[in-house]
Amino acid sequence: MSDLIEVSDPDKVYADITRGEYEDYVKNYRAFEEEMLEKAQNDTSLIDQAREDSKAATKLSKGIAARSASRYGAQLTPAQLEAQKNALRTANTLGSIQAVADAKIAQKEANQGLLSDLINIGQGVNRSSQNQLGSAAANATARKNAYEQAKAQHKAQTYATIGSLGAAAIMAFAF
Amino acid sequence: MGSKPKPTPPSDAEKASASVAKAEYDYFKKNYDPLLQQMRDESMSGDNASKLRGRSNADTMQALTSQPSYQATQNVQNAGDVGQALQGQLGLANANAAKIQNQMQSNVLGTARGQAADAQSGMAEAARLQTSQALERARGKQQVSAAKMSAAAQIGGAALAQGISNMQTTGLKTPTSGVGPPQQVKGSFFSPVNAQGQKVSGLGNRINYSGFFGPGSSV
Repeated sequence: MSDLIEVSDPDKVYADITRGEYEDYVKNYRAFEEEMLEKAQNDTSLIDQAREDSKAATKLSKGIAARSASRYGAQLTPAQLEAQKNALRTANTLGSIQAVADAKIAQKEANQGLLSDLINIGQGVNRSSQNQLGSAAANATARKNAYEQAKAQHKAQTYATIGSLGAAAIMAFAF
Repeated sequence: MGSKPKPTPPSDAEKASASVAKAEYDYFKKNYDPLLQQMRDESMSGDNASKLRGRSNADTMQALTSQPSYQATQNVQNAGDVGQALQGQLGLANANAAKIQNQMQSNVLGTARGQAADAQSGMAEAARLQTSQALERARGKQQVSAAKMSAAAQIGGAALAQGISNMQTTGLKTPTSGVGPPQQVKGSFFSPVNAQGQKVSGLGNRINYSGFFGPGSSV
């Protein structure tokens, strides 16, 4: 046994659904879309993260070196310690510069990719809107044309009526 | 004359089609719409970035610190190399996570926008249906108006012709005094005269005069 609900007025149901779909988009996705548009133009999260990671990586590698040395009971001379400090500072500086530079490139690529996706989506929306507007304009023109045609028909009918009355009168007088 | 026209009821096929479509739509809204919203929320969370960064960190440590040695502890460059490698790997993880997130978000938005676009074209379709109904109504009114006008013209024409025909009727009426020759009498627009010059008036006389139910011209 089917539990299908009978739809007696498909026209209204159709209109309700389409309106509901648009309202659903506004409610659930409009803010999301605006956030993405903003992100595609101004996001710097990769660069910010690269800067933070540089600091964390320096601390982490220092800790690794210290734990490893203590595990083997190794003792570094003051000169070795100074050399290690310098090497770490240099590596960190260079690493940080490279990481941030890479992040800038990755950020630009990510933002551009997102922006182009959004533009594609926007183009689709624009196309649909234009089609819809074109359709509405065509409907309005058809209505206007039908009205003009109806007016013309009405006028023609009136003249035909007057003509037929006149013709009847002439014929009646003639005979 | 026919009875007043009634709106055509929808056919069984039309009703079934609309019912199935509505049921499918309801099913979609119930089962698929929440999934898209769930995907939207997932795309906004940093889960992917966290997973990829964890994996990058693990890979780096696995590669550079999984085989500790005394010799390594004496290498002053080692710590710097690990730090630099980690930064590079984390950067890659971040870039990939951002790519995945952007892809997910644009997919979600594209789908949502697609649905909205369908809604828009649906609106246009609904408007088209409304327009065609409005046109049909206007056309119907126009036809009724034309039919009324035509009927009025026919009735008016017939009345005019009959009136003029009435005016053309003549009869010879004997003077009331009974003296003198019969005088010619003419009919008026509303009343003809019979051969005896008498005005035809009253419904019965008019029907007899018209001969509609058989010959006769009595007054």
